[in-house]
Amino acid sequence: MSLNIRVAGAAGQGLETTGGLLVDALVQSGLHLFSTQSYMSRVRGGLNWYDIRISDRGLFSGAEKADLIVTLNEQARDWLRDHLTEGGLMLFNGSEGDGVIGIQFEKVAKEVGGSAIMANAVAAGAVFAMLGYDLAHLEQQFQSRFAKKGDEVVSGNIACARKGAELAADHEGRLDAPSGADAPRAVCSGNEAVGLAAAAAGIKFATAYPMTPSTGVFTFLASVADKYAILVEQAEDEIAAINMVCGAAYAGVPAMTTTSGGGFALMVEGLALAGMLELPAFIFLGQRPGPATGLPTRTGQQDLKFAVSAGHGEFPRAIFTPGTPQQAYDLTRRALETAHTYQSPVILMSDQFLADMRMNCTGLDDTYRPIDRHLLDDPSEDYLRYAVTDDGVSPRALPGSKAFVVLDSDEHQEDGHITEDLDARVRIQDKRMRKLQGMAADALPPERYGPGDADHLLLAWGSTYGPAREAVDLLAEGGGPALLHFPQVWPLDEDAVRAALDGRRKITSVEGNATGQLASLLRERGLIGECDLLLRYDGMPFTGEEIARRLTS
Amino acid sequence: MIDKPFFDTDIAWCPGCGNFSILKTFDKAVDAAGIDRHKLVLVSGIGQAAKLPHYTQANVFNGLHGRALPAAVGIKLANHELAVVITSGDGDMYGEGGNHLLHNIRRNVSVKAFVHNNQVYGLTKGQASPTSDLGFVTKVQPHGVLSPPFNPLAIAVVEDCSFVARSFAGDPKHLQEMMVAALQHPGGFALLDILQPCPTFNRRNTFKWYRDRVAPIDDSHDPTDRDTALHLALTWGDEIPIGIIYTHHRPTFESQFGVLKQGTLVSQYRAS
Repeated sequence: MSLNIRVAGAAGQGLETTGGLLVDALVQSGLHLFSTQSYMSRVRGGLNWYDIRISDRGLFSGAEKADLIVTLNEQARDWLRDHLTEGGLMLFNGSEGDGVIGIQFEKVAKEVGGSAIMANAVAAGAVFAMLGYDLAHLEQQFQSRFAKKGDEVVSGNIACARKGAELAADHEGRLDAPSGADAPRAVCSGNEAVGLAAAAAGIKFATAYPMTPSTGVFTFLASVADKYAILVEQAEDEIAAINMVCGAAYAGVPAMTTTSGGGFALMVEGLALAGMLELPAFIFLGQRPGPATGLPTRTGQQDLKFAVSAGHGEFPRAIFTPGTPQQAYDLTRRALETAHTYQSPVILMSDQFLADMRMNCTGLDDTYRPIDRHLLDDPSEDYLRYAVTDDGVSPRALPGSKAFVVLDSDEHQEDGHITEDLDARVRIQDKRMRKLQGMAADALPPERYGPGDADHLLLAWGSTYGPAREAVDLLAEGGGPALLHFPQVWPLDEDAVRAALDGRRKITSVEGNATGQLASLLRERGLIGECDLLLRYDGMPFTGEEIARRLTS
Repeated sequence: MIDKPFFDTDIAWCPGCGNFSILKTFDKAVDAAGIDRHKLVLVSGIGQAAKLPHYTQANVFNGLHGRALPAAVGIKLANHELAVVITSGDGDMYGEGGNHLLHNIRRNVSVKAFVHNNQVYGLTKGQASPTSDLGFVTKVQPHGVLSPPFNPLAIAVVEDCSFVARSFAGDPKHLQEMMVAALQHPGGFALLDILQPCPTFNRRNTFKWYRDRVAPIDDSHDPTDRDTALHLALTWGDEIPIGIIYTHHRPTFESQFGVLKQGTLVSQYRAS
C-alpha cells in the first residue's frame, strides 16, 4: 500500500523545512519514499506544496491526490480540499472545524518550545501520530540536525513534536499507513545526484548563470567546492559560462556549466565552438516549459530536439537523459567519460521533476575517482592537435608542454591554424564526424521494463521513466503494456532500438511536451512509423495513475 | 626573436595595416618580457586583429567573436601558471564582448588584453565600431555615426582596473614599452588599447591623424591617482594621451581562491 502526504502553504512558510524533516524521518523507518515539489515562481506567498509518498513497495512517481494534507494557511486549506482522496484527512495550522483537524503550530511551538520556529516539529509530530508511527525516528532527526545547537534546541523540538502528536491523538482521524519495508535509509534528489557525481568524477571548474531548475546542481557544487577542489564561479551571462568552460577544458580540467532552456539558447554558439575545437564541455540542461521564459518553476520535456540539433554546422555530441536520481548519478559520470573519450560536448538533460525528485538511494559513492582525460603522455614538438585518425579522435595535449596546442573556431588544418583550403575542410570535417560512429557504438541501449510478451510498448525518455514504469505495474493484470525507456537520446543505439520495437503492434510515446519529440526523432531515423502520443505540457509531472488512466480510457 | 611568421600561412591583412606593426612589436615584447612561448596562450575572438595568434609562435585559442575574454579567464583559472594574452579588435572586445569586459575588469583575473582599436570594422568591410567617432560615415551609417564612442579606458578607470594603458601602432618603441609593462604587471587584469590605423576602411583616423594627436603622458603623472587618470582617459581630440593611464593594486581573483593555493587546478588533477 502507498500513502501520499502533501504539505502546502505559501512560499516562505517553511514548507521545505517541514517536508525535508518528514522525508528524512520517514525514510529512517525503511519505507519506500518518493517526494516531489510544486512551487510557484516567487519568493513569498503563492501556493506551494511538498509531496511525500510512502509505501511498502518501490515507488517511482508522485500521486495526483493526497491522503493527508497539511495546510499551513487558509488559502491552502480552501484550495486543496479537492486534492484529498476519499477518506483522506486535512490537518490545518489554525482552528478546528468544517471537517478539518486544527492545531495552531506556531502557538503550540511558542508555548512548548519557546519559539515559533519549532512549528514544523509540531506539525511533523502530528503527522506521525495520524499515521500511527512511533516518534523515535522523528526525534532522532532533531538529535542529528540540532546537536550542534545544543541540548535545549534538541529537547525543545522533541517536546514540540510530542505535543503535536498528543494533540493529533485527541482527534478521531487515523490513516492506514504502510510499514514493514526495508528500503535504503537514505534519499537523494536528482540535482544532488548530478552534483555529487560530477564532483566525484573530477569536475574542477564549474561556472553558470543561475536559472531554475538547474541552479541546485550549481549550488551543490559550490557547497562541496573546497572538499573536492573545484573552482566555482558565477558567470556574468550564459555566453560567458560556456566560453569559460571551453577555455578551462582546453587548459586541461574537466569543466561544466548548468542551465535551463533560455540559458542554453544563449550557449548555443559556444556549444558549436566546443564541437569545432573538439573540447570536452559538459552542459547540465535542466528543462522547464517554454517557449521563452515559460513557466520558470514547472517541469517539461520540450528541449529534446533543440538539444539534439542545437548549434550551427554539424558536429558530434552525446545527450544523456536519466530517469531517476540514481541514474542521474551514473550517467553524469558516463557523460564526463564520453566527453573526454571523444573530445566532444556532452549534455545531460533533466527537468524540474527530476531535479527536485527525492527517492531512496543505495548510498551514492562520494569517493573522489577522477575520470581519465585521455591525454598524450609526452607530446612532441611536431604535435598536431587535429591529426587525422581512423576513429576521428586526435591525440590530445594540453598547453604548457613543449608542444604548441593551437585551436581555431575557423576551419583549420591539422596543426589547428586557420585555413581556407577546401580539401582540408572536408578532411577535418570528416575526421570530426567520424567520432560519432564511436559514440554510437558506445551508446546506451534503451531499457525495457514490463511483460516480455507485451504487444503494446510505451516509449519514454528522461524523468518520465518513473511514472511510465508505475503505469506498467498498474496495468500489469490483463495484458498491459511494457516500457522502453531511453537514458540516452543521442546518438542512438539504433540496432538495439530496432530489436526492441520489432513486432510490436502498438507504440505510445509518453512525453512531457506537445509534439512527441522522441517519437519524431525515432521517426527521423527510420525506427518507427506512426505511433500514439500521450503528452502532458501543463508544467506538472506525469503520475503513474494518470498514464494508466489515460491509456485505458 | 622571430623575424618572420613561424607558420607557413598567408597573412590575411591588407598592405599597410597597423596589425603588421603590432605583430612585430608583440614578438619583441614577449621576448623582452622573458615569457616562455610554450607557457604562453594567445586568445582571440574574430576579426582581422584576432588572426594575430596564427602569425606567431604560441599556444592558441582562437574562439568566437566577442568571447575571447571568458575563454581566456577559463584558461587562466584552470592553469594560472600560463601567461594568457588576448589580442583582438575593438569590435570583438568593446562591441560583441562588452559585457565580458565590464565584468572581467571587476573580476580581476590576471589576463592581459591587447585591443587593436582601429575605430572601424575591417573584416566585415567598413561598418562603424563602438569606438568610431561621431559623424563617421560608412555604407551602413551613410548619415554618419549618431552614438558617441564607447570609452573603454574611462570605463576601466572607473571600475578600478588593475592596469590601464594606451599606445599607438605607429610608435613601435612606445608600444613595446606598454606591452612589456602590461605583460610584467604583477597581478590582475590589464587593458592596453592600441590605436591602429586601418588604411582600407578608416580614411578619417589615418596614420597621420593619430600621429598628429598622440602625446606621451608626462612622467609626472602618478598612475595610481584615479582623478587624473580619469581625466587622461577622457581626453580625446586634438590631443590623445598615450602611456600608462592607471594602475590599481587589489587582490587578483585567482589569489582569493583557497583551492588555487594548492597549485593550479590542472596540476591538482594530475596529482590525484
